[in-house]
Amino acid sequence: MKRTLKKAAMTAALAVLVGAAPVQAQKEPIKFGLLQDFTAVYTFVTSGYNQGQRDYLTLVNEMGGIDGHPIEVTVVDTGNQPQRGIEAYNRVRRDGAILVDFLSTPVANAMVNRVLEDEVVMLTVMHGRGDASDGETFPFVFPLMAHYWSQAALLVEYIDLYEGGIEGKKIAHVHIDSPFGREPIPVLQELAKQKGFTLRTFPYASPGNEQSATWTEVRRFRPDHVFIWGAGGGQAVSVREAIRNGISPDKILSVVWLAESDMHNVGADIAKGVKRFEATVTGTDTPILQEIMEKVVKAGKSAGDAKEVGNTYYNIGVASMAITVEGARLALKEFGAPLTGDKLRRGIEMIKDFDAQGLIPPVSYSSKDHQGGGFGRVSQWNGKSWEPVSDWHNAYQDLVWEKIRQEAAEFKKGR
Amino acid sequence: MAYFLELLVNGALTGLMYSLVALGIVLIYKSSGVPNLAQGAMVMLGAYAVWLMASWDVPIYLAVVLGAILMFAFGLLAERLLLRKMVGQPIIMIVMLTLGLEIFLRGFAPGFLGAAPKQIDLGLGLAPIILGDVFINRAYLVGGVIALLLIAASLLFFRTHIGTKLRAVSDDHVSSWSVGISVERAIGISWGLAGLTAVAAGVLWGSVQGVDWTLSALLFPAVAVVILGGLDSILGVFLAGLIVGILGSVVPGYLDQLAGGGTRDVVTSLIILLTIMFRPHGMFGREDIERV
Amino acid sequence: MFYRLSGIHHTRYESASQLWPIPADRWQVYALLALALAAPLLVSDLYLTSYLLPWLIMTSAALSLTLLMGIAGQLHFGFAAVMAIGAYTSIHLVRFGLPFELALLGAGLMAALIGGVFGAAALRVKGLYLVMATLAMQYLVDWIIVNVPAISGGAQATLQTPRTTFLFLPLHKDEVRYYVALLWVVLVTLLILNIKRTSFGRALVAVRDKDFAAAVIGINIVRYKLMAFFTSSFLGGVTGAVLAYCFYQAVTPEQFSFNVSIQIVAMVLVGGLGSVLGAYLGAAFVLLVPIVLTNAVAYLAGLGLLSASTNLLAHIPLMVYGGLIIGFLLFEPLGLAKIYDNLRKYFLVWPFRHARS
Repeated sequence: MKRTLKKAAMTAALAVLVGAAPVQAQKEPIKFGLLQDFTAVYTFVTSGYNQGQRDYLTLVNEMGGIDGHPIEVTVVDTGNQPQRGIEAYNRVRRDGAILVDFLSTPVANAMVNRVLEDEVVMLTVMHGRGDASDGETFPFVFPLMAHYWSQAALLVEYIDLYEGGIEGKKIAHVHIDSPFGREPIPVLQELAKQKGFTLRTFPYASPGNEQSATWTEVRRFRPDHVFIWGAGGGQAVSVREAIRNGISPDKILSVVWLAESDMHNVGADIAKGVKRFEATVTGTDTPILQEIMEKVVKAGKSAGDAKEVGNTYYNIGVASMAITVEGARLALKEFGAPLTGDKLRRGIEMIKDFDAQGLIPPVSYSSKDHQGGGFGRVSQWNGKSWEPVSDWHNAYQDLVWEKIRQEAAEFKKGR
Repeated sequence: MAYFLELLVNGALTGLMYSLVALGIVLIYKSSGVPNLAQGAMVMLGAYAVWLMASWDVPIYLAVVLGAILMFAFGLLAERLLLRKMVGQPIIMIVMLTLGLEIFLRGFAPGFLGAAPKQIDLGLGLAPIILGDVFINRAYLVGGVIALLLIAASLLFFRTHIGTKLRAVSDDHVSSWSVGISVERAIGISWGLAGLTAVAAGVLWGSVQGVDWTLSALLFPAVAVVILGGLDSILGVFLAGLIVGILGSVVPGYLDQLAGGGTRDVVTSLIILLTIMFRPHGMFGREDIERV
Repeated sequence: MFYRLSGIHHTRYESASQLWPIPADRWQVYALLALALAAPLLVSDLYLTSYLLPWLIMTSAALSLTLLMGIAGQLHFGFAAVMAIGAYTSIHLVRFGLPFELALLGAGLMAALIGGVFGAAALRVKGLYLVMATLAMQYLVDWIIVNVPAISGGAQATLQTPRTTFLFLPLHKDEVRYYVALLWVVLVTLLILNIKRTSFGRALVAVRDKDFAAAVIGINIVRYKLMAFFTSSFLGGVTGAVLAYCFYQAVTPEQFSFNVSIQIVAMVLVGGLGSVLGAYLGAAFVLLVPIVLTNAVAYLAGLGLLSASTNLLAHIPLMVYGGLIIGFLLFEPLGLAKIYDNLRKYFLVWPFRHARS
């Protein structure tokens, strides 16, 4: 009974305005469009990520909005299809949205030209083009957090600093055979040359539900460390195959897409020791999460299952909105209402040393850097939760930026 | 050498697990001439059904049995409500209908039961079976053995009383009618049996990769198995499963490094293409004689 | 009512054999064309760029496939791959320095050449086996595009369409894009309508109905099957290029995946196999129903009439869409075009139930 009541209370669903703020709701609302993939490839992350975003915005509205402006959210399923993304985008843009988040690389990549022309801010948190960090070429595209090149560089540095040096080690990069899986390879190759380790790459066929042949090969390579670069169900298969092939879990390092649910799929105890990149604190111990628990979840206003609160993808969602709202706040203070895409962009670019009360490493943006420095850390699965095993840091950003500029120049040339 | 052997053995076992998906397609095609492209989605549905009952604390093996009963009923129902009305329609309509069913199921199961990957634990553990330097995947071994058993059971089934009727139906609908065999019921049973094999495939694959909509992507290797083996041959499913699995494991094992990409889908595609170009009816399929 | 047969007496062969011999039909077509031409003035940006534009382009794709599947009877489950070849070719040609108009032609030719290879399978098999063969080719083309960075556009696997012009009009203006798409769909429509009336079209129909029988009456089936694949792939390739330049503006491999092939086949079937009008209706159905359903479900949920989890709400359109496809195949296998045809025939003789045909 209690459960059904809760469910009824959670009906705030697709394209529902996140409750209009009670008191000072007179000022005109700020509109965001979360046009994400709920039914296809990205389902593994969307529900948690989207819930985190909406819960945080609900919290902001509960507290009176940004400087009195409530935030209105439109949530639409795009099914990872660019043409549906375009329709949803044009619709929310007509309604006055100044920020969109597609959480889908194919859709986001197809939208780059449009958002640049229309001056709408597009978040590409952990998806989309890595070179969008170059704010001069992509003024309206914001990766906000460390993208895949920075993540790969950081994992390399982690091994170098915390696992007894990387020189002479053998690293296996086991990846899904897609542009996403191949993306970090150039950076890893360059680092292999500079730092003197051996790199070998092992692709497996998408979507990665069957990888046994690949891991047979990996085992014979006898790697000192294994990077697993996939997403969704394939990640659990990777971890399982690695363990089955005698690779100790603490030698496995993953891209950011490895969450609690994957660990439970593998078997929480068996997977003890697996490491991964993380860009936000996991769990509900940070002040923002505490507030969400109290004012949103306990009040029955959460956009989904209360069990999800504090999970990896949920917290990434919260962090993405925390940074955005901070940018909107700065923009309102500096340029005044009404907020536009261009003002919001400049607002985010003004953010300095913002850490969302400990949820994320301190990040700063500028008109050049839309990645925020590429900070992150490594955390380890202890059987119940993710435990940080390194400090927040960023790694080899010179190299990463060389790559960013090179790709951004390509983009400019092709336009 | 050990490398080759390991690729060979694990590939063969994976291939047998593909056969399990393919078996359902063959059962249906054999009796009714319908290529069921929704079999992948049925595998997904079966896995979801078993997961759901396991999540209600039903012991896993009981859940499998219950799931099998449910999916048998689902097969009967799909045949009765959808396919029976399509008799006599062009093949493309029937193909599209099964694809429509696949789209529907891909919305239905994740919609009601959750889209995030779920786990089915058969209690097999991760430790491989080690023979020298060859690691054999325990889950695949179990899957391969079950696939073998089910294929053998299907072969035996066609020697039973109902099975004989099914064979008659697969030979010729009209003459079966004329000797008093209920063609409708025979086709219905074949759909039910396809539902049964879908549960087996769904549970085994689900335990390996987790239960979510990607299970329906197993259709593609299963199609390769069916085409290579012959659309109406159960023996073909067995041998073609082995071949597709082994080639899909050994060839990428040597070629991926050279090609710089996962080549398994290429191998699978080429198997389909080459079979169709050189021996359209597969290794054991029955050749149709076309009259002008 | 609108349709009257009374008073129509064709006294010359030319007037009897024109495309729409009944004036009411003709006026309808003219009116629709006028509406289509005036659309940029009539509808808002949103509907022009995200409904009308993709609809027209996907109609061209469905029409190209209709030529192959409906008229020539050759099943094709890899049509998105053919369009991908056109899209990528056109972008690389424009980047190489060719004018867009020539690049379109190049896109069509390249797609036709490779699409003709698809046709080779049709010489050997038909029906279900042809479905599987073309499906396998789709996977191969996809794999090559994804795995050759020179084609797919480097690490990001995204190619932006370069800025260019069509007949001196700038192609980055929404209206120009719309008119280019409109021009193309009108051309394809006229072509398909007329192909049906030529000896080429009649030969294709003979091949469709029974290829051996066609051979007996002197039709070179090898030649005609290959020509059907060649023509249809040419149209598909140009459509792919138009889709890339006028709609997506950036090409990623996912835009031409296997699912898109299925969608185009669904357009042809739901619309009505072989019908030109059906291609329009089918494209509208397959393309717009998921979007409309998503918006409708969201609207109902917003009113509080639908209460369910986000996850379920997101999946409802998928279920309804699959259910609708099943429903059409079960209850109106001849497609949406047949429903229109029934209506038209009813009004043609209204107020009588029926008349001498």
